[in-house]
Amino acid sequence: MQITSEALERAIEELAKLPGTGRKSAQRIAIHLLKQSDERVINLADALVHLKKSVQRCSTCGTITDSDPCTICSNAKRDNGVVCVVEEFQDVYIIEKTNEFRGRYHVLGGVISPLENIGPDDVRIKELLERIGGDEEHITEIILALNPDAEGEATSYYINKLLLNYEVNVTRIAYGIPMGTELEFIDEATLSRAFASRTSF
Amino acid sequence: MRINRLKLTNFRNHKETEVHFAPHLNLITGANGSGKTNLIDAIHYLCMSRSFVATSDRYVANHDEKYFMVDGDFTGEIRSSFKVSCSYSRGEGKKIFVNDSPLERLSDLIGMVPIVVLSPEDLALTSEGPSERRSFLDSMISQISPKYLRDLIDYRRIRKQRNKLLQEFRGPLQTLRSYLEPWDLQLVETGARLIHKRAEVLERFKTYLALQYRTISGLDLKPSLVYQTITDATDSIDKISERYNEELDKNFEKEVDREQTIIGPHRDEVVFYLGDMELRNYGSQGQHRLFSMALKMAQLFYYSDELDDLPIMLLDDVFGNLDQQKTDIITETLTKHTGQTFITSASERPFTISQFDGNSSNSWFDVHNGTVTNKY
Ligand SMILES: [Zn+2]
Repeated sequence: MQITSEALERAIEELAKLPGTGRKSAQRIAIHLLKQSDERVINLADALVHLKKSVQRCSTCGTITDSDPCTICSNAKRDNGVVCVVEEFQDVYIIEKTNEFRGRYHVLGGVISPLENIGPDDVRIKELLERIGGDEEHITEIILALNPDAEGEATSYYINKLLLNYEVNVTRIAYGIPMGTELEFIDEATLSRAFASRTSF
Repeated sequence: MRINRLKLTNFRNHKETEVHFAPHLNLITGANGSGKTNLIDAIHYLCMSRSFVATSDRYVANHDEKYFMVDGDFTGEIRSSFKVSCSYSRGEGKKIFVNDSPLERLSDLIGMVPIVVLSPEDLALTSEGPSERRSFLDSMISQISPKYLRDLIDYRRIRKQRNKLLQEFRGPLQTLRSYLEPWDLQLVETGARLIHKRAEVLERFKTYLALQYRTISGLDLKPSLVYQTITDATDSIDKISERYNEELDKNFEKEVDREQTIIGPHRDEVVFYLGDMELRNYGSQGQHRLFSMALKMAQLFYYSDELDDLPIMLLDDVFGNLDQQKTDIITETLTKHTGQTFITSASERPFTISQFDGNSSNSWFDVHNGTVTNKY
């Protein structure tokens, strides 16, 4: 094969590095872009550069934001007594989409995992304690919403233990059965966990 | 449960093979190296997502080929028909599809089609170290309890995390303790469930074992087993957890010293006895052979009672090492298994054409250089 455009080849290579994009779809996207107007392609490129340059972490909750503090932390209508602890900023997005939670967040930026050399000091636990102990917020409840895998559980246990020294109520989201899923399609392990954390009717 | 159709592509010496099996007995004859074991190993692949012969997936692909594929159609006594396919390529690794939709976790396959294998390698079950018996036990229970399998996978992960801390933590022991605590809680929680389930299964299993050993050996020597774990195996889960915590606490310094988790079900042992004699250290070659066969036959009949769907039984090259009398006993015992059975053998002994010719429940295949012919 002879390459007639190094520029196209370079774009395909870069696109193929994106998650869920194989070489074939990278090729399709690159060719599609070539056919667009200059303006549209420049807009896309600009958005990508802007994404990396202007997005920062909120100094309070740790989620990604364009301005510090983020729109959630600076929203006076939100309950500043309840903080939901999540692993990563994408979890904030997911919970926000439900429109159910009106408190604030705390993004740990990871979970404890010795195998990946992540200890309690490498995630934002200290920052959480400072928020709880500080004067700016009046935190009365911490909701732990970490993944139910071994690392998420270990992190929840660790945080819960530390919070025994504080005047806060600690809760965790329940293990449940996905909505719209029929019982017979649920694996036994999930089902038995759901039973163990059943709630009164 | 039975497999009606099996198709192999680049699976060891099978370039492209498709076979339709009989619902009861399938005899597969052929010389050594002909590919007869590969055929039943492929069935094992579809049930357990791994080979019972090769240690690594990449040795399974036909030489020079970078991928292999196995797929099969199954019918259950209870469950309706479904299709399982398993593909492996060096770039993408292993993938499993059930009715053409991909399985998220390979482990979800285990237990869909219960399977028991009896092969010459089973000798290691009673004569070698405790890890052989633990993996037999784990594989036996995982097929009947998805929850056990999940706990097993979680337990391994938790133990690895814990070991890493024990190996690499530098600092005051008090800090190490607080770092270990979240893992210890989970180690005890999953570990206690594993121990409890092992005890429960072994308690029921030993009756099956005793019956099978006596049938196969024809002797009155009473076989028995003792499950050795961190506590009395008949304890409740709470009691096991309590003892587990005590042991962890007591052995903290030892674990720090050895830089690994030394307390837990990964150190369990199952000791087999014949009468008063401990089999592993004092048994003869013949006693080991009969005992390991009894273990697998016991697993077969234990499954049959325990599960709604009958297990598939694979016997790989077993008759070559047995005299006529023992061969007769095994084939006689197998007639009590109304599910599907596969037997590979280098010789036609002890079978006769009349068992297959004109009998739609049984089939006889001959394998030569990776080509399968349906003889009867
Ligand atoms: Zn914020």
